[in-house]
Amino acid sequence: MSEKPVKGSRRVFMTGNEVCAWAALAAEADIMYGYPITPQTDIMQYWTRLAPKYGRKFLQTEDEISAGFTTVGGVIAGKRAFSATTGPGNTLFQEPMSMAEMMRIPTVVIIPQRGGPSTATVIYSQQEVTMTTFGGNGEGFRIVYSTAGHQDLYDYTIKAFNTAWKYRFPTFVLGDGYQAKMREPLTIYDPAERGIEMVKTEPLVGLPGTPGVDRPVQYLRNTYNTEEELYDVVMSIAKDYEKAAPEIMEWQDFDTDGEMDVLILAHGVVSRAAQGALPLLKDAGIHAGHFRPITLRPMPEEQMRQAAAKAKRILVVESAYGQFLKLVKEALYGMDKPIDTLLRPGAGVTAEEIVHRIQEGR
Amino acid sequence: MAIRIVLAGEGGQGVQIIANMLAESAYAEGKEAVYIPNFGVEQRGGVSIAYVQIDDKSIGSPKFPKADIVVALSNRAVDRTRQYVDERTTFIYDTSLISAAEIAEEAMGIQAIEADPRSQRTTELTDSTKKKDQVKLPENAANTIGIPANDIAKNELHPRVFNIIILGTLLKATAVVPLERIKEAIEDKLGAKFEKNPALRELNYKALDKGMSLVERLV
Repeated sequence: MSEKPVKGSRRVFMTGNEVCAWAALAAEADIMYGYPITPQTDIMQYWTRLAPKYGRKFLQTEDEISAGFTTVGGVIAGKRAFSATTGPGNTLFQEPMSMAEMMRIPTVVIIPQRGGPSTATVIYSQQEVTMTTFGGNGEGFRIVYSTAGHQDLYDYTIKAFNTAWKYRFPTFVLGDGYQAKMREPLTIYDPAERGIEMVKTEPLVGLPGTPGVDRPVQYLRNTYNTEEELYDVVMSIAKDYEKAAPEIMEWQDFDTDGEMDVLILAHGVVSRAAQGALPLLKDAGIHAGHFRPITLRPMPEEQMRQAAAKAKRILVVESAYGQFLKLVKEALYGMDKPIDTLLRPGAGVTAEEIVHRIQEGR
Repeated sequence: MAIRIVLAGEGGQGVQIIANMLAESAYAEGKEAVYIPNFGVEQRGGVSIAYVQIDDKSIGSPKFPKADIVVALSNRAVDRTRQYVDERTTFIYDTSLISAAEIAEEAMGIQAIEADPRSQRTTELTDSTKKKDQVKLPENAANTIGIPANDIAKNELHPRVFNIIILGTLLKATAVVPLERIKEAIEDKLGAKFEKNPALRELNYKALDKGMSLVERLV
């Protein structure tokens, strides 16, 4: 057993991509599969530099479809396997990730979103929300953590492995190009020292004993012959997903006590702008609150509704043209609340812009 | 106190390195710091922009609408950073690389019609004599300071310490971290080279001093 990559805990100043590589090491990930694409490539580069020192592995594949399927394969072999991709690469990942949903393969994929559609920019966006939550030809049986900064990237990359392996759903850490490339302080730690136990991994095929005699038969299938067969399988996955959802969902709220003039809904790095806007709005005599879903899938709908119920209006802010808005509308369906928007596809949002948007709406 | 800095130059001028050093030193000093590079699809060339925020409190969004200090080190960098300037901003530019547009006689005719600063630049069509490109500097800044860092680097020190002069200027202007911390950051980056050639350390320190002597504390 090689020594632990992170001992105790310490304060560091790193890029987000570096953070993800360290988090995967600390989470005892065995292997990363990947294909380079900016702004994700540094995760691979840090991983390939660090992994051999700790007896971990790396495989560069010929494209993202292959990176996705090899990650699925690594997990089936019982390895804590992960990958990272973004933008057009994320598009290609949807095929293997659909397979992971169908076969309940606990893959972990880190997505530092870049601009879209297509090649667009290598900089930043929140335009991969729809694809990461509901991509593929399925029902979105997956878990998506939307991180807001480096501490989140560390915490939730570690957590993603455990959520994936505990509940057996493909799990995504949805970051963005800003978080990938910027440097800021955070605390890295040995998960064990925080009482975080890594969920044990196991091979999904080639188990000991005779199938049907010594152990149940493992049906790892993504192909079905009849409508009824498929219906039963999908309904059973849906039931498992809905049962697990309340244990998985996470959120944060800020200043949502009492009557609010406006509730700002934002996720990921944009939540930081929303948090920054609150004191500025308070100075301007506006009582604003902020609700941030950390899991976009499953969405903490009930908690969002409770916060929304206390506000006169809702403001949805995102670096996309209505992708998060769509999830919000679904969560708040039936509530009689006016929704305003600040939609900036592929562009950053600052606290000042949120304040301005709220003031001009009054 | 929060300080927001935008640094922009041509790829290769070393803008990202000094932005990183500044943020790193502030972090080492126990402050909150966020540094984010702006990057395009090109492998090299193009305008390189760095955003640095330093604060006592935790920092929100990595980018910001207006900066306390904008440093522009090329004509294109002036254009790209104009949006971050407002009436509280100190705008620092390199006079040896950028010359502010004046109303040149040969350009009088078009100036009245076209206010676009691009129209005031020399072009092959209007100017036969090769002159330094001219660019219109932002007019709304609180202070606009021209420093001849590139000339000083070339003539008095070494072209390679150009960015360290700029770092010295920033350090003096913001007083956001002590000189010692910056020296540690430089040591961190270049320590191995200094071992082989101690004169390089002196050269970098001189560049820092020189940069610091070019401005007063501004923020």
